Amino acid sequence: MNSHLQRQGSATAVQGTGYTSDQGSPRLRRVTSSRSDQNVPQFNWLPASAAQEDAGQEAAVPPKDLRALPMPMALKRAISQVQQMQVPVLSSFQSWKRSKAKSLSRARKSIGGFLHYITLWRRSLNKIGGNFGDGVQSYFLFLRFLVVLNFLSSMLITGFVLIPSIVFRSVASDSMNVTDNGAAGECRQYDHKPDPLVRYFSYFLDLLSGTGFMEYTYLFYGYYHNTMVAESDFSYNIPLAYLFTAVFYFAFCLICITARTGTAVRVAVATGGGATGSYSRIVFTGWDFGCLGDRATKLKQKNLHYQLQVDLEEERIKNEAASLTLRQKVLLYSSRIFLSLVAFGLIIAAFFGIYQATIFSQSKVKETGVLGLFYEYLPSIVITVGNFVVPVLCDQIAMLERYNPSITVIVALLRSVFLRMVSLGVLLFTLWSQITCFEGAPEECALCHYNHKSYPCWETRVGQEMYKLTLFDLLITLAMLVLVEFPRRMVVDNSSNKLVQFLGRQEFLVPVNVLGLVYGQTVVWTGALFCPLLPLLNTLKFVIVFYAKKITLFSNCRPAAKTFRSTKSKVFFLLVLLFGWSLALVALIYSIAKIHPSMSCGPFRSLSSMWTIVPDSFYSLSLTTQGFLYFIGSQGFSIPLFLFFSVVMCYFIALASVYGKSVDLLKAQLKLEARDKQFLVKQIEELSRTLGVAR
Amino acid sequence: MGATASHLGKDLLSEYQELTFLTKQEILLAHKRFTELLSREDKNLPDPRAPTEAILTLPELKSNPFRERIVRVFSTSESRDGLTFEDFLDLLSAFSDSATLEIKSHYAFRIFDFDDDGTLDESDLEKLVNCLTGETDDTRLTPDEMKQLIRNILEESDIDKDGTVNLSEFQHVISRSPDFVSSFKIVL
Repeated sequence: MNSHLQRQGSATAVQGTGYTSDQGSPRLRRVTSSRSDQNVPQFNWLPASAAQEDAGQEAAVPPKDLRALPMPMALKRAISQVQQMQVPVLSSFQSWKRSKAKSLSRARKSIGGFLHYITLWRRSLNKIGGNFGDGVQSYFLFLRFLVVLNFLSSMLITGFVLIPSIVFRSVASDSMNVTDNGAAGECRQYDHKPDPLVRYFSYFLDLLSGTGFMEYTYLFYGYYHNTMVAESDFSYNIPLAYLFTAVFYFAFCLICITARTGTAVRVAVATGGGATGSYSRIVFTGWDFGCLGDRATKLKQKNLHYQLQVDLEEERIKNEAASLTLRQKVLLYSSRIFLSLVAFGLIIAAFFGIYQATIFSQSKVKETGVLGLFYEYLPSIVITVGNFVVPVLCDQIAMLERYNPSITVIVALLRSVFLRMVSLGVLLFTLWSQITCFEGAPEECALCHYNHKSYPCWETRVGQEMYKLTLFDLLITLAMLVLVEFPRRMVVDNSSNKLVQFLGRQEFLVPVNVLGLVYGQTVVWTGALFCPLLPLLNTLKFVIVFYAKKITLFSNCRPAAKTFRSTKSKVFFLLVLLFGWSLALVALIYSIAKIHPSMSCGPFRSLSSMWTIVPDSFYSLSLTTQGFLYFIGSQGFSIPLFLFFSVVMCYFIALASVYGKSVDLLKAQLKLEARDKQFLVKQIEELSRTLGVAR
Repeated sequence: MGATASHLGKDLLSEYQELTFLTKQEILLAHKRFTELLSREDKNLPDPRAPTEAILTLPELKSNPFRERIVRVFSTSESRDGLTFEDFLDLLSAFSDSATLEIKSHYAFRIFDFDDDGTLDESDLEKLVNCLTGETDDTRLTPDEMKQLIRNILEESDIDKDGTVNLSEFQHVISRSPDFVSSFKIVL
């Protein structure tokens, strides 16, 4: 029984067979040479002849990727030497193509090596994955992706908006004549000088809330001017740059997220969810070879044991249980509907609370001191409390509804997502309704098209709200770490109370933490138009969060008892992030197109809406460019383009359905072949029996 | 042909890069870790072979329940004991980040085939499940549970109904699992 590979020193006289199958059992010897035995990784030593049979021409087969051959190094070396000796007849074009492909793969390898070097936190992530599993590692991978995304976008904003603003500060401001529309003098008043007689304590308060000395800085929209530099061979239009940078920032984030989602979705679709074949899947693919250390290994083994036992138990129960009676079904469905309504009602109550808190906070904006700080932070506090309390209640409700375990997790998560995102939307809606006098006294907005008495520079105010939300989120995370998780660990370790030991150490809940990240990122996207340095601050915030979460993971948490499927959840995280992005996009579009910019501050102070800078600059382009752009926007161009894309999409859909059908056909063929084999084996046995030949 | 204990030649390094899925840094790190495993006399040999006991002291393999099978599968000596540096690189290449699904599933099949007969029969599956759940008595499945589990596995994955799982059936199961590639990974 040949089970090991034949190694014969170096090079040439090596057999092509590798791992041979058992020859003892009465199996049909496969006579055909083109089809290889299932278990033998055979190597075709004469690829050229096979290709000529197929193609009927002298085109050479490209050399096989040697790395993917499951053979020991010596064999691979021998094969590569043989391949190099076989100089195929190539046309000059093909040899040029071959050499280009080789240099391209070499370049790709060196880039891969370089990226491997500079990959952020690679060793920490490996350690986390080895000790706590794939699910927790996916959270930290997601966090790293957000850090890189924020860093690149802040570079973008710095390069196109911040640095030109600093450079052109010296240029005479307000180089454009402001069109005087009636009683606009009052609208242009903006008192941003901080009160000179002020206590030291208020500097700290100002830092936390973005008011006072921080208000009139590069941090907020109000500081930027609408300079339009136009020299002989160089022109830079700052308002246009500001707008286009904001739009491009959104587009850039969308591209990054969809690229990342694409790879994750491809894996998820190719493996088809994997609901069937769960036992063989658990046994064949369940072991994580990256587990480090005895503790993690024993935990993984306990995990698998638990999983297998539970599955076998469930199967046994399912085989024994009768189906539910009609009365039980009706009861179950009606209770589910009722509980869904209860959860929905809770969420609506939270929204109402946020709305009231925001209005109250905006009305108390003149207060100073700690009480004033409390009023400033009231919306953030209410949102955080709501985000804390309502998901816990929703979890309990979801458990009462008695869905499948995986569906329960998804339902609870969806409810939390909905709550967090739309609570942010409610905050924004209240702010905007106050600014544009959506309700209340409409005469306050008649003069300047916005409420200039309470909001002389409303964009800065919105930016301050977003800045406060971000900062508060970070402070809460750090406070939870210090005040809740460390004490819990100390209590668990030092007390022998039964209840305490039952509760045990903290478990690192991945979905809740990921939602926190998505929420923080959505706040940044919404606020980036009004607070251009917010992505940079967010990068720092996420770096701090990474190290804080890593510390709490290793010191305070125990590994999860239930596994967390990482591939489906990766797609889910990115889809939730995309949902947050689209909410921020709605806010952006509304701000750009509908609301009148402040007349007293900012780069758009002389325009009736932020978008009008684009048509204004459009007319300063040359006539040919204008004509070209008109053509692109016209129906003569867009309708054929649309038809073309529809045709391409139909082609891909047809291709996908054909592939699916051929996969089904091949599976059926495989089953038929197996049946043929069994039939022939039986025939052989009968024949050998009748002929009396002993095998 | 082999590497001297202290330094890898540049040609050898680029050849290894061609023949494995490892990057240059990974190969150099592997060389460093491998030479630490060798005893002093072995270091001067032209093609040193690290004994199995030394390899099993690596932290990445120390607590892996499949560690002895891994060393046996990748060893090219007649007694299947000990790895040369090239065997070690083959091991790391199959377990690396960029290795293809085919090569990983091929080696996984060989690791799980405890009696080296080319198929996974019931005894192989039983030993596999015991490795997965732990060898001590309180972590094993009961005999009834084991029988039920093996019956379920064969029912799901044995397409040609010959009572064993061969390589293509194994690869078919693997291809439907999205997490296999990321869990079949050992990184130094």
